[in-house]
Order: sequence, then structure tokens, then C-alpha cells
Amino acid sequence: MFLNTNFGKTVDILHRAMDVASLRREVIANNIANADTPNFKRSTVNFEAQLKRALDDEKTTVEPEAFVTDPRHISFDQKLDWRTVMPVRQLDYLTQSKSNGNNVDLQQELMEAEQNQMEYSLMAQAATNEFNQLNIVLRR
Amino acid sequence: MSLFGGIATSSSGLSAQQLRLDVISNNLANASTTRTADGGPFQRSRVIFRPIVSQPYWRTPFLPESLDNGIGKGVRVNKVEKDTSPARLVYDPTHPDAIKTGPKQGYVEMPNVNVVNEMVDMIDASRAYEANVTLINGAKAMFSKALEIGR
Repeated sequence: MFLNTNFGKTVDILHRAMDVASLRREVIANNIANADTPNFKRSTVNFEAQLKRALDDEKTTVEPEAFVTDPRHISFDQKLDWRTVMPVRQLDYLTQSKSNGNNVDLQQELMEAEQNQMEYSLMAQAATNEFNQLNIVLRR
Repeated sequence: MSLFGGIATSSSGLSAQQLRLDVISNNLANASTTRTADGGPFQRSRVIFRPIVSQPYWRTPFLPESLDNGIGKGVRVNKVEKDTSPARLVYDPTHPDAIKTGPKQGYVEMPNVNVVNEMVDMIDASRAYEANVTLINGAKAMFSKALEIGR
């Protein structure tokens, strides 16, 4: 019903971003639980940069367009669909901050956890606002 | 992908740090124990942690999907290890455990517990514990926020 509307798209993006936020929280919780484990390497989650690229792709077109005469030809304009963007977990294996091979910085992880929590609240609030606006329309 | 998974991860950190605190308090309680069942002075223990993962960590950015170890599931105590570094020698010939013969005659073997190191370790453990508690509380706040959607 709302699939091709702005409302459906917004709610879908919020849904994905909140899923990623809870995944990121799990990764941060694992980093903090292993703050004293020898040779443990912290992980991070990358998602937002790819999502932004995909959403920017929708607005721009590449000039000139490729002259396509066969369905197997590859177009110059390789659009990234935001529905296919998945979160990527990366192991930060290059840095070292402690003598036991562990690279978890407790302050940094706690700050990221706090930021992650606020982002999640913000997105939950945004989703609530979307649904409230829909309610206004439905009440008439 | 759930908030309860994050809470389980943090709680594994809580129990690991709790055990670390227990070991540290045992070390401190025995900071001047010169006689043990094994003979010789008390030796300090230390806790070795290891991450809970289904497979070992691979240090490569080009990771095959089948070798990916997934999201870590927290921490667990690998073992509690005795520190076998040499005992501290204190000269006290009247002590009942003083060495009777040899070049070390009159010296008492005291435990290799360094009280300052233990205190620093204790603060480290309690801060790590607090960090895990913070994460659990945050997860709870996030969860209740998600329940408010559409309300």
C-alpha cells in the first residue's frame, strides 16, 4: 500500500537503520566485554556511508549514457540500490593500543555506545512522527 | 540481530569481571601468607580471558564467507593461572617459616603479590564491570524506545 510512497521509503530506511543500530550495539557490547582479553581485536560496523552513496545515486545520472545494443552490455551508470545495502562488519586488526595485543579503547567504545543509543532513539522518534502524520490523514 | 543478544554479551562480561575481582581479592587477602598446602609461600593467581566465538579469528581483510566467525558472543574465562614468578625475600630469622639452612638462611619467602598492582587491577576490573552495566542499561533504554513507536 505504501511501497512506492515517500512514507513507505522513509519507514523502510528507518527500519533498516534501526536494525543496523542494534547490530552495532551487539558488536560494541562484544568489544567492551572483551576489553581485557589478550589478542582480541575490536570490530566495527559500516553501513551509513554505503546507504548515503546509494541514496545519492538516485539523484545523479552519469553523462554520457552508454550506447547499449545488447542486454549484456554494462551501463556506465551503475546505480546502487539502497534496498541491497547490507551492514558490513570489519575487524580492526591493524592497530594496537595495549601491550597484550588488545586494541579495545574503553572510552571510545562507551562513547560509540552512547552515540548509537541516541541515534536509535532519534530514529524511533522519527518513525513515531511518520506514523503520527499518517494518523492525521486517516482521521479525516 | 537482537537487543537481548547484546544484553547476553554484556552479562558474560559482567560475570568474567566479577570472577576477576574475586581472584584479586583472594590475592590481596593472602598478601602475606607464607605457608600453603603445597608448601612454600602463596602464589598470586591471574585470570586469562578469551572471546566466545565459534571459530578462531582470522587476521585478513579478504575473509572467505565460510571462515567468518560472526558477531562475537562475549567473553569467558579461559583459566585461572598461577603466577610462578619468584617469591619476595624478607629477612626475619625469628619467623617460624624462615629458611633454616643455605645461603638464604634467615630469610622468609613472602608471596609474590604486589599490593599496588592488585589495586590497579581491581580498579581496572571494576571500571570494566561498570562499562558493561552501562551497556545493559542503554540496551534497555533502546528497547523501551522501540516499543514506543507508533504510540
